[in-house]
Formats: sequence, structure tokens, C-alpha cells
Amino acid sequence: MIWPKFKDWIDERYDIAELKKLAKSKLIPQHRYDFLYYTGGITLFLFILQFITGMLLAFYYIPHVDFAYESIIDIVTKINMGWFFRSLHHWGAQLCIVFVFIHLFGTLLIKSYRKPREFLWVTGFILLVISIFFGLSGYLMLWDERAFAAVRVATGGAGALPFVGSFIKIFLRGGVDVTGDTLTRFYAFHVSILPVLSLLLIGIHLLFVQYHGMSIPISLEKKEHKEELFFPNVFYKDIIIWLVVLGVVVTLAILLPPEIGKKANALAPPPEGIKPEWYFLFMLETLKLFPGTIMGFNGETIAIVCVSIGIFFFFLIPFLDRKSNRNEGSPIFTVIAVVYIFYFITMTLVGFFD
Amino acid sequence: MKLNYSLISRRQFLNTLFGGSLLAFFSGTLFSLAKFAFPTLGKEPDFVVLDKKDFTDIPKNSAKAFAWGGVLGLYLKKEDGSVAALKGVCTHMECNVAYRPAEKKFYCACHKGWYDEAGKNIAGPPPKPLEFFEVTEKGEKLIIARKGAKVDLAKV
Repeated sequence: MIWPKFKDWIDERYDIAELKKLAKSKLIPQHRYDFLYYTGGITLFLFILQFITGMLLAFYYIPHVDFAYESIIDIVTKINMGWFFRSLHHWGAQLCIVFVFIHLFGTLLIKSYRKPREFLWVTGFILLVISIFFGLSGYLMLWDERAFAAVRVATGGAGALPFVGSFIKIFLRGGVDVTGDTLTRFYAFHVSILPVLSLLLIGIHLLFVQYHGMSIPISLEKKEHKEELFFPNVFYKDIIIWLVVLGVVVTLAILLPPEIGKKANALAPPPEGIKPEWYFLFMLETLKLFPGTIMGFNGETIAIVCVSIGIFFFFLIPFLDRKSNRNEGSPIFTVIAVVYIFYFITMTLVGFFD
Repeated sequence: MKLNYSLISRRQFLNTLFGGSLLAFFSGTLFSLAKFAFPTLGKEPDFVVLDKKDFTDIPKNSAKAFAWGGVLGLYLKKEDGSVAALKGVCTHMECNVAYRPAEKKFYCACHKGWYDEAGKNIAGPPPKPLEFFEVTEKGEKLIIARKGAKVDLAKV
């Protein structure tokens, strides 16, 4: 038999038994909120799915202003199963963002960010920003009217930041306007810069999870709770949930293929009732709340600064929440978390049904 | 547990069932991924549609190139005015062949292969004759089809 020989060969070089022991000793706490542990795994699975479908789509996609739109039409009409993989990439991305937010809000509510896991929050936050940038750059790839308008608005919004705004805008757009150069640039972000960064950060994030072990909510930490083996119990549960998620994505991809609008035209007005992707709606609705000028200052700049401060405060929560760092109940930050979540969901819904 | 009259144990049965479903799942997934990765676009077409006016006026005893999918097709008008179309790819090592009006033969420069007017391999290394197509005229269009292929104009 070749297999035992191969095993010996590996064993002589690597201490597999030690690794096995390590894997077998990994325990997952069981409690009322342990379903939240699976949201990170689902996000990871969806990221993997996005990597696979993305690599395949890159076989046929042409990142050039004259051919981008046409190449996607070719993918969905001429390539074997092209319609399916494009649709799967679209729905995988949507669910990925959904689960990133669920994972984030779950972490926020049970305060898993508290000492010693601040860096898990930081890496996770950066991964959220990367995910959203993945989404924005990904849907410019279509080069249809909606993508064109959305990227104009988003990069223009960044341009409203004081001092650094126009620098960021020009860096993102590769020029003063959204043109074919922006498409090439966003393609580079989407297929090389962001994937590498996200792989690196996911690696660090997972390493921290292994290092710290699973966080237990403050209210339950001192009580008795059961524990479960990661291998094989929780691992199998993870796989089962991944399979269900795959089923959901595939079903959505088949039943609701995303539409492709008219090809972008820099000289044509955007179509009526145009809306960005749902995860930008809360931002858009917030900007609408501000008048054009506030006491002589540009309203948009003030709005963007306010939103930035809100997001920055959110990012700093693990460092500001002293009480939960001492493992005491921290109702103020629970209220803050609920306000953030409520605001995000309400504004997204308002934007959606507007 | 294994019953006396059973060939396999329950464990073996369950393992086969589970392993089998995993195998089915992954082979299905890999198959569709591979199917997407290998495109239909590069395949040879069953037929191509050309503009008739581009080809009717060529002089006698000459050939004009057209695109047969991704490869060279040749539209040949013989000395007597009859026409034919063929795939202009040598059957030896897939080089493009050229029509030599002086000899009324097709010539492949890669390894000095020769075919006669009817595409028969007559000298040099080519193992098989050239592939000829069927030419039909339809209004302003010229339809070049592989012999025996069904022409479905809706696909154009």
C-alpha cells in the first residue's frame, strides 16, 4: 500500500500527532447565543465562493471601456453556464455583505470585541470596508448606467471630505471624472489589490480567533456552560450550514438573475429612479437629511464629516467601552449598539421603499 | 452491525451513501466549473454566413479567404466557373494552405504538402484530403456549411 508509506514519510518530517491533538482539544462553548459563532464561518464560506466564481469570470471578462459591457453580455448569453456563474457571483456578493453585517452586529451586541479581542474587531472592521469596496468596484465592472452613476456618486461623496477629499477622489477615479481609466483602476482593485488584502486580513482574523478562543457573552461567562468539540461536532454543523447557504445562493442565482442595464454613456442622463446597492442606502438617506448649505458652509461636506465621525466612533467602540473590558455589564454601549443597528436598518428600509 | 444474510454492514452502507453523495456533489460542482472554464466559442461552427457580393466577383481560378470560426476558410472559383468552399487548414500539422493558381493546387508551406483542386492529398506529408464544405446561396447571403450539418439560421 502506498498510503501508509506516504503517512510515514510525512510523520517523519512533521509532527502530525501533535496537530491532531491540538485539533481535538479545540472546544466550542455552548450557550443561548452560540448561533452567532456560525455567522463568521458563513461569511468565510461566501468569501471562498466569491474567490472561485470571480476567478472563473476573469477568464472571460474584458476590463476595457469598449468591451466590458459586451463581454458580460457574452458571458451570460454565449459561455457555457455563464449566466449561472455571473448570477452566483452577484448573489454571493449580496449575501456576503448581509452576513458581514450580521456578524458585525452580533459581535457588537454580545460585546465579543472587549478585551482581549480588540484586534479581532479592528481586522473585522477593515474587512467590512474591503467588502463594501469589493461591492462598489465589482458593480462598476458591468459598466451599465446604474454602475456608472453609483460610482460617480460614491467617489464624488469621498471628494466632499475636507482637505483630503479631492486627492482621494482623483486617486479612486484615475482622473477628474469617471471614465475608462476608472474602470481599469477598479478592475485592479477588484481582482488584485482587494483579494490579496482580504486574504491577509482573513488569515490574521482567523489566527486571532484560534489564539483567543471563542468569546462568551459577559452575562454567561461566570455561569456554568457546556462545551462541545470542534472536531467533529461543530465542524460538521459548520459544513451543514454552509451547504444550506450554498443552496440558498444557488436558488437565488437561478430564480433571480441580476439585470444588466443599458451601457453607460457619460453624456446621457441617468435613468429615472436610480438607486445604489442596498448597503449604500443608509449613507444616501443620511446625506439627504442635510440641507445644501449650513451657516454658509457646504452641506455635503458637513454631512460627510458627520457620517465619518459616526463611523469612526463605531470603530473605536472596543477602546471606549471600559466597563465591558472589565467584564462588567455595560448598558450604555448596549444602547449605543442598538441605536446604530436601528439607524442602519431603518435608513436602509427608508431608502429601499423610497 | 452485520446481519447474517447481508453482504455489507450498516456502517459500510451508510459510509457508501454519505461518501457517494459527497462524490456526487463535488463531481457535479467540478463538472459545471470545468464546463464554464472551457468555452463553446472556440469550437468550430456548423456553418457560417457570408455576404454574397464579396465573393461572386472574384476572378476564375482563384481563392478568397473567409473566417471559418477561428480558422481559415477558402472560397474557390475554378477555371470552369464552378465554386467550392473548404477549410484552409493542412491535415498534417494544421498550417494554413494557399491556393496556387499556376499549378491549380493547394500548397502547405510548413512541410511542403500538396493537394489537388479537389483537395486530395497528392504529395508530401499530408495524411488526409482537405475538408470541403457545402455552398448554398440564399438571397444576398452565402451559406457555407459542414457536410451533413443542419443549418439553423435562427442561431445567427
